[in-house]
Amino acid sequence: MSELAFDRQWRLDELLDAAALERIGPALAELFGGEVGILDAEGGLLWGHAPDAAERRLPLILELEAIGYLASGTAAQPALHGGRELLIAILRAQVRYKMAATLHVEAVAEDYESLQRSHARLLESEARYRKLAGELEIRVKSQLLELEERQQMLYQAEKLASVGQLAAGMAHEINNPLGFIGSNLSTFKSYLEKFAALKGRLAHAENAWRELDLDFILADGFDLLTDSASGIERIARLVADLKSFSNVDRASEEYADLNTCLQHVASVMSSQLPPTIKLSLELGPLPKLVCLPGHLNQLFFNVMRNAVQAIQDAGRPGEVRVSSGRVDGGIEIRIADDGKGMSREQREHAFEPFFTTRGVGAGAGLGLSTARNIVLAHSGRIDIASTAGVGTTVRLFFPTAQ
Amino acid sequence: MSEREGNSLSFKLVYYGPAQSGKTTNLLRLHDQLSPELKGELMSMETKDDRTLFFDLLPLGFRAPSGLLIKFRLFTVPGQIAHDGTRKAVLSRADGVVFVADSDRSQETNNAESFQSLTDNCRRVGLDFEHLPLVVQFNKRDLPNAVPEAEIRARWSAAPWPLVLATALRGEGVGESFAALLLAVYERHAAAQELATVHGLAAAAFVAGALGQG
Ligand SMILES: Nc1nc2c(ncn2[C@@H]2O[C@H](COP(=O)(O)OP(=O)(O)OP(=O)(O)O)[C@@H](O)[C@H]2O)c(=O)[nH]1
Ligand SMILES: [Mg+2]
Repeated sequence: MSELAFDRQWRLDELLDAAALERIGPALAELFGGEVGILDAEGGLLWGHAPDAAERRLPLILELEAIGYLASGTAAQPALHGGRELLIAILRAQVRYKMAATLHVEAVAEDYESLQRSHARLLESEARYRKLAGELEIRVKSQLLELEERQQMLYQAEKLASVGQLAAGMAHEINNPLGFIGSNLSTFKSYLEKFAALKGRLAHAENAWRELDLDFILADGFDLLTDSASGIERIARLVADLKSFSNVDRASEEYADLNTCLQHVASVMSSQLPPTIKLSLELGPLPKLVCLPGHLNQLFFNVMRNAVQAIQDAGRPGEVRVSSGRVDGGIEIRIADDGKGMSREQREHAFEPFFTTRGVGAGAGLGLSTARNIVLAHSGRIDIASTAGVGTTVRLFFPTAQ
Repeated sequence: MSEREGNSLSFKLVYYGPAQSGKTTNLLRLHDQLSPELKGELMSMETKDDRTLFFDLLPLGFRAPSGLLIKFRLFTVPGQIAHDGTRKAVLSRADGVVFVADSDRSQETNNAESFQSLTDNCRRVGLDFEHLPLVVQFNKRDLPNAVPEAEIRARWSAAPWPLVLATALRGEGVGESFAALLLAVYERHAAAQELATVHGLAAAAFVAGALGQG
């Protein structure tokens, strides 16, 4: 290090190389009348010829110590001293140049080093940003996951809502036959009381029979019992439908015929229909599909319920037509109504959760969004064709395995 | 680093500090004031508008009773921010440093940044800053808006380095700063260089020899 350092003690032979000696030596010899010797600090001869006499040898001092000597056997003392000053001036210029040049090299090396340091710092901060970006990605992913979870919760909530709505409809439907069965039975009780009264008047049987109107009672009694029996049968059927419908939570895949699903849902549906709305099925033969029947029931129920409500909203009689059939690559199911229809804006937002065409409270507005999720889970497609005031057709497509 | 060469021992002492704080002026005054046995000429390497571009160099020396030649080479660094590479190169191999701060109130940030750069650069050129002989000089005491002495002393009271107030322009405090540095250099090197034992140089004689008061 200190060999190459700018602040080292420069030696005479470093300051005067061969070429410089070649130029300066002869010039000094000329000035000195023939003889000149240039010697280094240790007295070694660099140029010319040097006499032994000490007084003919002058030290060359740049800082504090002699770095060499100038000697001449021929020069007068004043000439020798003058020549020494001249040579020192040359050496000073030389040492300034050498120091500046070496220092410059050192400084550039230092600058380069600090450039490299700041480059390293840049790399470091780039790495930090990279890491940050990676962490961001992870955070985005975890938030996406959270969103998906929430969506799932919404779906569950909607499922609960429609199951609740279904249960309410069912309760209403079951109440109907129960109501008339109850009333039949109490009427029948009063009929039996009449037969009890007959017992005391059997002597006047003919008259009593007529007065108690037992001919009517007999006929009506048979009617009431038949009626009640059919009511009980209706209750039993409703309960059976309800049971198959409530498969929603059985989330295992099954090999199912979608027509069966449609029939189940239609029968649940039709028990809730007002008389002005007709529900018709045109089911073509279908290949069986690997699916989640509980979820599909849910889906069909939602879409059919929307159709019924669209007709109710239109305030006129109407029909929901459900059709199924094979198409290229799979199964197509259409659920069409001639109800109120949707505006363009409504159609665009139809699949968004919480969007509803109905007043707040009539439905959570999750129907179609949930429907779409179920369709997507079966790798299917759902689309809506609708004209305001004319009606809506929802088309569902499910691919069948090749 | 102090260098033994034949029968001489050489110390490199560096005047460090922010731009225009008076480093070159310190050397100019020392050159005028001191009269040691050996005194070279002040070499100023390239200045532009009074500002040092490379360095200034003042050589001083004296002989110990043993005959050992003790040499001091006083350097100044360029204070301007842009010349950091040169500053580092000049600082390399230093045996001691006088940090010349500017007392002007407006220069406080520059002083602090320069001192920070001194510690950073010491580390980079491989100098052990903790054991580096160092003197802190607050120059330009003559300025009307100089930070008051009490404030400076309070602020530096916890620092281990000698603190000298100076007005280099008038030559005040310049010799005192140099003497303080000489003492610190002696303490650091005396044992290793056998100054007292072999060369017959006590601390006071070492300082006096360099100042030329022997
Ligand atoms: N008022 C006042 N001015 C001073 C004093 N010391 C130096 N100066 C002036 O400050 C200016 C800078 O002085 P220099 O010695 O060149 O400063 P420097 O630290 O070598 O500056 P750089 O080489 O640029 O780093 C000159 O005009 C000096 O005359 C002082 O004690 N008081
Ligand atoms: Mg300067």
